[in-house]
Amino acid sequence: MKPFAYVNAANEKEAIAALGPERGKFLPLAGGMDLLALMKDYIAQPDRLVNVKNLDKTIAKTAEGGLRIGAAVTISDLAVHAETVRMYPAIVQAAEEVGSPQIRHAGTVGGNLNQRPRCWYYRNEEFDCLKKGGSRCFAVDGENQYHAIFGDGPCHIIHPSSLAVPAVALGAKFRVVGPAGEREIAADQYFVMPDRNIFGETVLQPNELLTHVILPPPGAAKSATYEVRYKQSHDWPLAAASAVLDMSGTTVRGARIVMGAVAPIPWRSQNAERALAGKTITEQTAMAAADAAVQGAKPMSGNAYKVQIARTAVKRAIMKAAGMRVNWV
Amino acid sequence: MGKAKYTYDIVRPGMLYGEILGSPHARARVTGIDLTAAQKLPGVKAAINVKDPSDPAKAQINYQGEEVAAVAATTEEIARDAMRLIKVDYEVLPPLATIEQAMSPTAPSAFPRGNVTSPTLRGEGDVEAALKTATHVVEGLYQTQVQTHTSLETHGGIAEWDGDKLLLHVSTQGINASRDGIADGLGIPKPNARVVTDYMGGGFGSKLGADVQLVIAAKLAKAAGAPVKIMLDRKHEHLITGNRPSAFAKVKAGVDAQGKFVAWDSETWGTGGAGQGAGFSVPYPVYVFPARRQSHRDVYTNTGPQRAFRAPGHPQACFITETVIDELADRMRIDPLELRMRNVQPDAPNAQWKKYFPMGAEKIGWSRRHPTGDGASGPIKRGLGCAANQWAGAGNRATRAMCEITPDGAVTNRIATQDIGTGTRTLVAMITAETMGLPLTAVTAAIGDTNYPFAPGSGGSITVGSVSPTVRVAAENALKELLAKVAPQLGVPPEALVAKGGRIQVKDNPSKGLAWREACKLLGTSPIQAAGAWEQGLSSVGTSGVQFADVEVDIETGVTRVKKIVSVQDCGMIVDRLTAESQMYGGIIMGLGFALYENRILDRNTATMVNPNMEWYLVPGISDIPVIDVTLIDQPDRGVIGLGEPPIISTAAAIANAVSNATGVRIRKLPVTPETVLAALQQERAGGTQ
Repeated sequence: MKPFAYVNAANEKEAIAALGPERGKFLPLAGGMDLLALMKDYIAQPDRLVNVKNLDKTIAKTAEGGLRIGAAVTISDLAVHAETVRMYPAIVQAAEEVGSPQIRHAGTVGGNLNQRPRCWYYRNEEFDCLKKGGSRCFAVDGENQYHAIFGDGPCHIIHPSSLAVPAVALGAKFRVVGPAGEREIAADQYFVMPDRNIFGETVLQPNELLTHVILPPPGAAKSATYEVRYKQSHDWPLAAASAVLDMSGTTVRGARIVMGAVAPIPWRSQNAERALAGKTITEQTAMAAADAAVQGAKPMSGNAYKVQIARTAVKRAIMKAAGMRVNWV
Repeated sequence: MGKAKYTYDIVRPGMLYGEILGSPHARARVTGIDLTAAQKLPGVKAAINVKDPSDPAKAQINYQGEEVAAVAATTEEIARDAMRLIKVDYEVLPPLATIEQAMSPTAPSAFPRGNVTSPTLRGEGDVEAALKTATHVVEGLYQTQVQTHTSLETHGGIAEWDGDKLLLHVSTQGINASRDGIADGLGIPKPNARVVTDYMGGGFGSKLGADVQLVIAAKLAKAAGAPVKIMLDRKHEHLITGNRPSAFAKVKAGVDAQGKFVAWDSETWGTGGAGQGAGFSVPYPVYVFPARRQSHRDVYTNTGPQRAFRAPGHPQACFITETVIDELADRMRIDPLELRMRNVQPDAPNAQWKKYFPMGAEKIGWSRRHPTGDGASGPIKRGLGCAANQWAGAGNRATRAMCEITPDGAVTNRIATQDIGTGTRTLVAMITAETMGLPLTAVTAAIGDTNYPFAPGSGGSITVGSVSPTVRVAAENALKELLAKVAPQLGVPPEALVAKGGRIQVKDNPSKGLAWREACKLLGTSPIQAAGAWEQGLSSVGTSGVQFADVEVDIETGVTRVKKIVSVQDCGMIVDRLTAESQMYGGIIMGLGFALYENRILDRNTATMVNPNMEWYLVPGISDIPVIDVTLIDQPDRGVIGLGEPPIISTAAAIANAVSNATGVRIRKLPVTPETVLAALQQERAGGTQ
């Protein structure tokens, strides 16, 4: 492993001072669930690691009535936090499905949102793929059963973060600090497609740090996340969906439907949202929205089956948000 | 760290860490190796070539990960970095990644004997004529994947020279084969090498020989003048330490109006990797198909060579045959269990399926089984399936042991077997203690060292059948000598004495006797060292069993969850029920992995394994493991028989049949992935294949 320096940042200022503008040279370290494996596999070779575990790890009420979640909060703490549980079932249900108990205890909210893709061409050294500066995506005519069914490439990763899906659905904002101060970025603007950033999956600059996730007050919205997994223990979803339903009595006033594990970013479907507007949730209206959600999917040579799985995830997320019984939950 | 030291845990004084550089290419010629930069890295103590660019025979790479060069350094981290500094020039050749590529007429000839062997033909009777008598015939293509052993402790060990003597700590299932293989690899006399294996973290057939890692470690140790440890990382464990070959079978089978099988006609093929066959034999011989015609070809690909894998060939053959049988039953519209009962081999001590099938059916609740296709509303479909198994097991006649009783009363039974996690150490101690009439804690089982008397490798479920009789005989011989010493003291003939409850006493007069320790004092200064040789009659050959699966399938996602596995199994005399049941659980869980999850996935363009880890090479975790209900049938009259292989054989077949019963569509391919299930459902909706 390449030798690296280690900076133990006591606060945001120290952390930012220790980061730098060159991509891949200076990396924040929180739970290390992703980064240490990347380093052991010689995919990441930083000069300096900046420990950010000691930054804000509290969950606080905002003035507006939402929650402000420190990026250093562990996923297991997030999943059992009373206010999160009460206000944002979609977040809690996603958090509960992350990795394994060990990973949830060590892994953080910031780490989950900023982890790198699990694509096996990216993770295996033998393949010099687009994300590593190479000239092609090996998944296109290779093994793509777990790759994207939306997005048209040129890189066909699926975004790996479980929390990103409900964060986008709930209209979260991310607080980011950098040398020039702080800014807030809407979650759906934070994650970007490969044509905008091939070497990362977000707009975060190498010298910036995500410090907080700010969730708006839920109001009358009901939310849920539904993940479809091959294995039940320690596995990644084949597809996931978060549904946020703004209800007026039994009628949907507005909805946000976001799919996970289907595209290089959390994939919002406004078609599905429109299909729900003004409707009462039944299995039929949920199914119609799910059909709308996967319209326009462009599966690769070996992953057409994921369309059906994504459709099911959307349908069940909507039903679950509406309080209907969903199988295997 | 616990008290049990695995090879991985052992640290020898002054020990260095070795790393082997594997080829990143699946097919290539090594044209140059430059160790200079690696040798210059501080901490590096030795670096050697494994491939020889100057010799065409030793320059060829036939699969990813094949060993090219190696280094030893003061830390594992330095060794890894040094390994990456080795500069290798390759002439990269187009690889054969898939069976289809290897069988293509335009494929490059990657192997001296060709990519595909000519068919081996077998058969009996007139298949064409027999098929004409069939009232129902099924035809289909059945296939199983490549499964890697995924031993939790990877391959490797420590090599340590003392002059021309070599001490080896090896993670192996066969210490004697390991010693011989390493000595041959180094060109040293076999007695100069000694292999020690105290605890072993899984092998499943992949650790029965070669041990190229130890040959390399010994060469590095010689060059560095220090012990060298090499343990493979997870990636190379997947790539180069063996696997269960794939199996493909085009089958046509028929049944007559009475529900008797009449014919089996099959064309089979599969790949065991680079230059290795895909041995499996259908139909699975639990059932009688009077007329048979079988043709088999092996296909070579540029992938890691196969090795024996827990019941080699059996899970594949069982899956293919048992699936065909369920299809025949569906055609006939009869209960598949009934069809099995009409066609299993006649009853014999090692063929008890007619008894076990009804027992298993009772336990799984077969009476509530619906015909193929769960009619319940909603996406979750429930189904039941079953399958049978057989295995030989045996004892190795060359097995020897030496039982020692020292004058202080200590008892040690020595035998060069190894405990591969199955409880062999416990077994040796139990048998010895029972023979001597002593508590388990009063005896020592000394195993895992080639300095002890010979025992075979632990493969093929032969350990218990080799070891148990032999240690029993050695213990009896030692006791006989002790009784001969005690008899004159008590004034009775030796045959009037018995060892019981920690005493040597007169059979008919238990109060007359000596405590064990007092008896042993009579030995004075000479211990008893009694040899024991394997004897016929204490063990037997052949087991039978059945398994049933109860599954739920979500037809909207294709995800299968196994709710319960029922197993009825024999293994002759059960020596220790706890370790025997534990074998059953382990085998069934591994069978579950084969059924649903495990799959070596290769990039079709480069023959590079894309999932050489435990993230995408899926194995069952706690939440994936169902209720497992094991009924072990004790057959004390038959003597002991091994139980390593039987539990893995039927699990996948039973699960796949249960998935078909649940969904109403036939699953002809392992693993039963969501993709496979959804594709089968879609095909059915599009008109089906039946």
